[in-house]
Amino acid sequence: MISRRKALRAGAGFAALATVGAPSILHAQTKTLKITTWGGKWGEVMKATVLPAFEKEFKCTVSADQAFPFLPKLQVSPKNEPIYDVLHANSNEQWNAVVEGLVMDKITAKEVPNIADVYPYAVSDKIVGVTIFTSAIGLGYRTDKGLTKPTSWKDLADPKLAGARGGYLIPVNSLGQAHLMMLGKVYGKGLTDLDAAYKALEALKPIKLVDFTGQMEKMLLSAEVSMGVIHDSGVYRYEGANMQPVDFASPSEGVLALEQVLNVTPGSKVKELAFAYIDYMLRPDVQKQLAEAVWYSPANKKVKLDAKYDAKLLTTPEKVATLIQPDWKWYNARREDIDARVTKILKG
Amino acid sequence: MTNTARPSPIAWLIAPAGLLFVLFFVMPFAVMTAMSFYSGNPVTNPNAFLTTRHYERFILDTAGIFHEALWSTLRIGLVTTIVSLLIGYPLAHWMARMQSRLGHALVLMAVIAPMLTGIVVRTFAWMTILQDKGVINTTLIQWGLIEKPLPLMYNEFGTIVALVHIYVPFMVLTLTGVIGRIDERLEQAARSLGAGRLRAFVEVTLPLSLPGILAGSLLVFALSISAYVTPSLMGGTNVLTLPMLIAQQVGTSFNPNFAGALGVILLLVSLAIVVAYNRILARLSGEQGMA
Repeated sequence: MISRRKALRAGAGFAALATVGAPSILHAQTKTLKITTWGGKWGEVMKATVLPAFEKEFKCTVSADQAFPFLPKLQVSPKNEPIYDVLHANSNEQWNAVVEGLVMDKITAKEVPNIADVYPYAVSDKIVGVTIFTSAIGLGYRTDKGLTKPTSWKDLADPKLAGARGGYLIPVNSLGQAHLMMLGKVYGKGLTDLDAAYKALEALKPIKLVDFTGQMEKMLLSAEVSMGVIHDSGVYRYEGANMQPVDFASPSEGVLALEQVLNVTPGSKVKELAFAYIDYMLRPDVQKQLAEAVWYSPANKKVKLDAKYDAKLLTTPEKVATLIQPDWKWYNARREDIDARVTKILKG
Repeated sequence: MTNTARPSPIAWLIAPAGLLFVLFFVMPFAVMTAMSFYSGNPVTNPNAFLTTRHYERFILDTAGIFHEALWSTLRIGLVTTIVSLLIGYPLAHWMARMQSRLGHALVLMAVIAPMLTGIVVRTFAWMTILQDKGVINTTLIQWGLIEKPLPLMYNEFGTIVALVHIYVPFMVLTLTGVIGRIDERLEQAARSLGAGRLRAFVEVTLPLSLPGILAGSLLVFALSISAYVTPSLMGGTNVLTLPMLIAQQVGTSFNPNFAGALGVILLLVSLAIVVAYNRILARLSGEQGMA
């Protein structure tokens, strides 16, 4: 016969075992979505609200990698068990990834219903995956240097700006690469007119070059450059912060698109969840929250931003029409030659 | 009967270090070398094939930038090493001969203090000093001494200034240990036999400190030629080194195979220089195989 004490002891032991075992059982049932995402303010909002809400709604955990660059890590991970389920990257990197079979070449409204509400640029033939936001690449300038607001990309070549204009190390920065193509359009026959672009690049010397946009922001803020190539969010995010004398100008020839693109890896074991994540990121409320946090233009047409953001970001079909999307497939195929040529042009 | 064939039990103490060396140097280097002879990643890409094209690309250098990048890397490494030695040796000598313990401790702290700050932070500090709108140029322009900013940054000069600042402590600490072990009485004996201060230093102290010069120089040279952050931030477009090219190939061109070939080339060239340097210094000091 089992005594009361024995029964209690057995019960306590069972309860303890259940307590210890429970998390692992729960863990086994909870799916994990592995994504890449940016750091900074974007990363703060993602980790504080956007991702926890997604985890709660879809009963999963999200493992977010913020340590850029992501593509080399995806390159060395097995294709049938990729390190990421969703790759968040700029468009040029997505094109590199699709050539190597690391991401899907097309995502449609069938997998991600909110695609039905995005502007055409978000899923155009210049995009692999889905654009969730875009920035406009134009000219940032100091308002305290007696400069008139630039209206053309050609204004960067003004002799007054010798040594006080800023650009990017083209081999390492997609804004620099996009700007090079724009020089072909402005001074030659089009975005692919590299000869005209090289000639125009030569004429921009002396120019201060940096390798990432954060550095360009610092150069503008410290007046190390008076005008430089930059994306609108890199200037607008300082609005109201100590009344910085910097502003953004959209040249009349058009602004270049700096798309934030999400794509799914073909070998992902949680594809449904990955598509659900992209769909979630395209929801108007999520788009509004992130767009206003970092001054990105939302890809979803239905998003209604507060007036302050709506006035400056690309939120209407007319404003979106000023976006120029470079052909990254074309560019990446010629990249080695371009890198060598621009390095020689800009050195010395 | 001797038991010299059996390793001492103490020898096992180096096993963790050996294991670390194999795991974090030999194996990655072997993988990198193997990758440099493939067209792609053979693990994930079944179509990857063996090739020497990455080495051919470097050797033929049709782009006209790779040889210049190698030379630039070695030039920056050599100049940084020489300047660090010229700054570090007198300081190390002074420290080693200092009688006051407190004084020695204070100077040692002054030498080590910059190492407590990260390289990126120190490089950004140099940027605020040397850039066109930096402390030096702004002050000189305000005083009316110059009209246009001096080219202190975005070139090899700025890169070397920042690298020397970062690596001088390595030179000083290495030299101090060696000079401190030189018997001061040897120098005193030379002087009592009629040698002047300079001759006693050149003929006694300097040759005896050559192992320290060799070790310190190799350390600074190795660190300088592999530096990435400082040349990237300080050099602008005028400086392109092999580590910068390697980072480009991995991080933005997504060509780890060519990056591997560049890594192998940098190591082989550096090894050749180190061996030559070792032999020259060994001959100068009349010893063999100091390192």
